[in-house]
Amino acid sequence: MTALRAPRPKGGLERKTARKGWLFILPAVFLILVLSFYPMIQAFLLSLQKGSGNQLSYGGFSNYQRLPKDNTYVTALGNTFFYLIVQVPIMLVLALILAVMLNDEKLMGRGIYRTLIFLPCATSLVSCSMIFLQLFSNNGLLNSIMLKLGWVSEPIPFLTNALYARLVIVVTMLWRWTGYNMVFYLAGLQNIDHQIYEAARIDGATAFHQFTKITVPLLRPIILFTTVLSTNGTLQLFDEVRIMTAGGPGIGTATLSWYIYRITFESVPRFGYAAAMAFTIFIMVAILAFIQMKVGDRQ
Amino acid sequence: MKKLFALLLATVMLLSAASALAQTKLTVWCWDPAFNIYAMEEAKKVYAQINPDVEIEVIETLSGDCETRQTTALSSGQTDTLPDIVLMQDNSGRRFLDTFPGAYFPMDGLVDYDNFATYKIDKFTSGGKRYAVPFDNGVAATFVRTDYLEAAGFTLADLTDITWDRFIEIGLKVKEATGNYMLVTQAGYADFVSMMTQSADFWFFDDEGHPNINTNPAVRAMVETIVKLHDSGIVKEAVDWSEYIASFNNGSAGSTIQGCWIIGSIVLAKDQAGKWGVTNIPRLDIESGTNYSSQGGSSWVVPASSKNPEAAVDFLSKTFGASVEFYQTILQSSGAIATYLPAADGPAYSEPHPFFNGQKVFEDLMNYSSKVPLVKYGVYNYEARDEIVNAIEAIFNGASIDTALNDAQSAIEFIME
Repeated sequence: MTALRAPRPKGGLERKTARKGWLFILPAVFLILVLSFYPMIQAFLLSLQKGSGNQLSYGGFSNYQRLPKDNTYVTALGNTFFYLIVQVPIMLVLALILAVMLNDEKLMGRGIYRTLIFLPCATSLVSCSMIFLQLFSNNGLLNSIMLKLGWVSEPIPFLTNALYARLVIVVTMLWRWTGYNMVFYLAGLQNIDHQIYEAARIDGATAFHQFTKITVPLLRPIILFTTVLSTNGTLQLFDEVRIMTAGGPGIGTATLSWYIYRITFESVPRFGYAAAMAFTIFIMVAILAFIQMKVGDRQ
Repeated sequence: MKKLFALLLATVMLLSAASALAQTKLTVWCWDPAFNIYAMEEAKKVYAQINPDVEIEVIETLSGDCETRQTTALSSGQTDTLPDIVLMQDNSGRRFLDTFPGAYFPMDGLVDYDNFATYKIDKFTSGGKRYAVPFDNGVAATFVRTDYLEAAGFTLADLTDITWDRFIEIGLKVKEATGNYMLVTQAGYADFVSMMTQSADFWFFDDEGHPNINTNPAVRAMVETIVKLHDSGIVKEAVDWSEYIASFNNGSAGSTIQGCWIIGSIVLAKDQAGKWGVTNIPRLDIESGTNYSSQGGSSWVVPASSKNPEAAVDFLSKTFGASVEFYQTILQSSGAIATYLPAADGPAYSEPHPFFNGQKVFEDLMNYSSKVPLVKYGVYNYEARDEIVNAIEAIFNGASIDTALNDAQSAIEFIME
């Protein structure tokens, strides 16, 4: 032991508190082990089994080897990344702008705006998807209005054209999740000292410069956090797709989670294969989170 | 005092035990209140006369949910969540029986199978054993608004025994005259994929069960026809089931081509009584093409996990498997065309139907039913159909038919590997 770091006296009291501390987190550790890690290991073992229904047998890594040859899997993977690349940046930028706007103390009724923008987050994913389905279906609200006003002569196939349908799903996710991320940013903004902005203004910084040079750098940890969270959520996208398009037209809007569900419950069930797919998502989430940490966290 | 209490307690226990013995409870999962659930409720009334000690509870469960719940329960081993009787789509029969051997209760010797149409029994036969009491027929027909046809100068006869090309010609004129779509189907044309293929005496698999898609003349003609229908603009492509039903109930589409069970939903629009007619379906323009097919249709199965499988089978065999009278009742109210052969001799089958302008609808449907080409269903029916639906979507987006069908063929071969 060096002089700088004196040995900590390990008194009986401290040991006792440490023991108590462990005692307190033990239930949580136990629950995580049983409810999270045990199923994960079981799922991995399942992913090594091939066959359908209840006739499964170990087949090594054959399920994983099968994946790149599976066109539906590849398409679903592409679609999932489409949602990720289109939706996450738009949502986070929008959330950030809204947060900065609603952080302005001179804005009248900002509490009401904040509540209204956060409110979609309180709706269940299922009802949210049902509402957007009603809005965008061929005889839905939007098409009815546009037909009445004579803007279009035929209903726009929002949900039966693959590209439109993907964009409608993106819009649904934006509506549902932007407010959620905005709240994180608002919380983060409370921690930025007003004096920094004042000083910047005295030095002649424009609003844009204040945003890019002060707000964004100081919010970096929170931006990182929301990016990881949104990436994770989007890679597991399921409810919206299942309800609004059922993966269609064809498999035009299918996602990985949708395909896993389909393989498990809707077609001839192949649990091993579905588990292997779930594991690829797990690995992708881990890799993406790692990259984002590297890029976003400079310390 | 204590003794009295003990005596009371014993009596109560004895009584409840006795009532538990007398009351066998059967739960049933099925869908469609206008059709299957209605039929089940009627069967309940019939069976109450035969065996009043059996209580039957019907739980409305959508067709898709029935399947996912069974898959979940059977694969996790939690079979106590399953009911005693489940309605199952004919197309799914082999899938469940073959992928979960031992999960269903065989009914050989308990049900008089001689009285049912053979093609129905085949769909639920696995390893030489029979596992279902067949229910509705699923024969396909064209259900059409005759007033729309008249507005364009046509009659029901003009729509009978025709090809799809002729159907499109008539449809264009109807659309011109009425401003409404000629036909409605769900986007993706999944129903037509199976219906048209079967109408030309082909299926997605050959006799050995190998996928038969890219060299199958019926599949090719079917795909070409669906592309023509799509391009013609006469078809309303409904996003989901409720929009599909709404489209003919509100008159925005003039016809639907579907299994005969759709009658239950058509007659819901009471203001349209007398304006509907029924005829056979258009045929594919190839040598084996016929004007007859089937779509949907389902049968009752009993999970092996049931506590009272014999009671469940007894209930089914004495109602759905034995009562002509029962079929008469459900036919008139819901249009449930039986696959129980003796039922066809009942008087209700030859009665004119007021909603269909006095047409003897059921007689006609029974007539079509006898002409439906018998094809051999496999385990992967839905998977094959969905791959073809994907291929059609690709063709809509500019792919060539050859490429798309080759892709579908290799995709289904891949799935079956």
